[in-house]
Amino acid sequence: MSRLKHVIRHEFRLTAANKTFVILTILGPFLIFAITVLPALLAQSPGSVASGKPLALYGAPPAVEQALAAAFSGMDIEVERVDDVAAAKASVAEDARIAFLSIEPGWPDGGKAVWYSKSGSEVALYSAASAVLEAAARETRIVESGIDPALVAKVLSPPSFEVIKLDKGGAEEARGSGSFVEALMTVLVFIMLIYMTVLLYGQMIGRSVVTEKTSKTVEIMLSSVKSRDLLFGKILGLGLAGLLQYAVWVSMAFLLKQFVGPLLRLSVPAGISAGNLAWLVVFFILGFFLYSSAYAALGAASEDEQQLGQMAWPLIMFLIVPLVMISTLVSNPDSTLVVVLSLFPMTSPIVMLARVLVSSPPVWQLALCLVLLVAAVAGMAILAAKIFRVGILMTGKRPKLKEVLRWVTVK
Amino acid sequence: MITVENVYKAYSNVQAVAGLSFEARQGEIFGLIGPNGAGKSTMIRMIMNILAPDSGTIRFDGEPLSEADKDRIGYLPEERGLYRKAKLGEVLEYLAAIKGAKPADYRPSIDAWLERFGLSEWKLRKVQELSKGMAQKAQFIGAIAHNPSVVLFDEPFSGLDPLAQDELLAVMVELKQKGVTVLFSTHIMEHAEKICERILLIDKGKEVVYGSMADIKTRYGHNAVQLEFDGDASFVAGLDFVESVVSYPRWIEVELKDGADADLLFRAIAGQLKVRRFETVAPSLHKIFIRIVGGEEAQNVQA
Repeated sequence: MSRLKHVIRHEFRLTAANKTFVILTILGPFLIFAITVLPALLAQSPGSVASGKPLALYGAPPAVEQALAAAFSGMDIEVERVDDVAAAKASVAEDARIAFLSIEPGWPDGGKAVWYSKSGSEVALYSAASAVLEAAARETRIVESGIDPALVAKVLSPPSFEVIKLDKGGAEEARGSGSFVEALMTVLVFIMLIYMTVLLYGQMIGRSVVTEKTSKTVEIMLSSVKSRDLLFGKILGLGLAGLLQYAVWVSMAFLLKQFVGPLLRLSVPAGISAGNLAWLVVFFILGFFLYSSAYAALGAASEDEQQLGQMAWPLIMFLIVPLVMISTLVSNPDSTLVVVLSLFPMTSPIVMLARVLVSSPPVWQLALCLVLLVAAVAGMAILAAKIFRVGILMTGKRPKLKEVLRWVTVK
Repeated sequence: MITVENVYKAYSNVQAVAGLSFEARQGEIFGLIGPNGAGKSTMIRMIMNILAPDSGTIRFDGEPLSEADKDRIGYLPEERGLYRKAKLGEVLEYLAAIKGAKPADYRPSIDAWLERFGLSEWKLRKVQELSKGMAQKAQFIGAIAHNPSVVLFDEPFSGLDPLAQDELLAVMVELKQKGVTVLFSTHIMEHAEKICERILLIDKGKEVVYGSMADIKTRYGHNAVQLEFDGDASFVAGLDFVESVVSYPRWIEVELKDGADADLLFRAIAGQLKVRRFETVAPSLHKIFIRIVGGEEAQNVQA
């Protein structure tokens, strides 16, 4: 046991004392932040355009002026009525006013409404103005047509429709209209994270085994420790490094949601919850052990890194399939195909995680998924230990599959 | 100490080791000698339990090698490889730690050996920065830093310059003086001749000569003369009292027929060659090997 501890510590140090590892650990959260929060941040807050400068207004009917004043007061912009068009334009050009809205007599059906500004690109401002004018024009025309405005309002009012997510306890959670996109984003981030880390760490283990084999370091190692201690020391050492990375990421995500989000008045996607983050870690650990055992076995059976790359392809396919199906996963999380993939151990870490995020899979399916996954991890570890023991010292020729299978049956 | 009995090992189409038996005794320097491909590394790997013999037994103090035994063995494999990305000091500490040594014991030991081999300033550098010779020495330290009572060195001299080779020979003698059993393989017979008490000379996986160096020399103790000279000495091989000649770049070793005297040779070459050194010696291991195996085989062996 104490030997295993030394191997774990050595492998952990080799991994975590690496520049790439440190950079990835620190930058990871910023990448996630950029994907999840930045779009919301950008779409929001036209208020940031405002600078306390007033908006000049010429020739609008009183009702329109009131509506504009109400709409712009929310953005901290005062509406000033002016009489001199040329002076108003000049004040905009000189940055004294933020923009000038000229509404000719006879508007909406006769005169023109024109928005003058220096940049012409303050979308938030002129779309607000345009919305006000649209509503005012509609109302004017309704009145002129002799129709009762109340009747029109009644006809056009949207019917009641809500989206509510029910979880296992029966608790209800209202979903806004953007929730599909939001769910898709959250799922995408989570499963990309699992996919990348499981693949990255798996390949790291595979490479580490091949390198040790080709550089013959393994001979020294085996003159001191059992092959099983070497194999599991590698897996656990790298696993610890991976967990450390996840600990950093998860706690940063949590801090973001608890403190940074509210501080910047951002809506952090609801998917980033403590429960979901816990599932992320659980599925990372299980997926990591499954794939790194498999990679270690492949590494031991390979002659060099190239061959490892070729042999790893079937393994990578299992990781890619769920990514290709992501839209099905999110929109149809309880279809037979998705349920089967969420139980099959090679795909379940990603698929079941996605299901947990978007729907509420039955408890028995979750339990079955975990049982199967743990059993698969144990089976893969035993298999890997056997292949590793024989393969790690085999050099000089590429082993055939039949031969590798014989190693497994060697007592 | 280490007892090998009738061990066989075949690879897919080569019989690497064919029925070797020998014993390396407690506290001696034992040489496993032979040309390239003779089966030396295979034999050492089997002793280390890295390879399993097809048949035969290998025992440590009468028992098969156990995990606990591995802790008191230091092993230098033929092909060197250390963790290239790690710092030298860390790698050496790791190698000692997985032998079950205590930091309080291995830290001073590592420092002392680094000092001895002039590698102290490299302790905090990465292994990949070391030159080949330095990496070689570093690996040697890795094999002995945990103060083993038995050491197995597979071709310890390869890749070292002559100075470093002498240093290594001296260290091996010191280890023996401390009571450590040293078993090493080499294809350089001169090294074996300098420090081995007993040897096993093998070729194509089979025993050629086995026993103490003194016995072997007596057994094959013909008259021999080592001759260093300027000029062309090719005529010496044709003299009727000369049994055989081994030529080295700057000197020759002449084996005389039974009953012939070194004086005869001295008179024969007088005036023909400018003699720098004329020395009567017991035949070298190389000479003995050639006598037994035949000249063609000996091409692969360095003196």
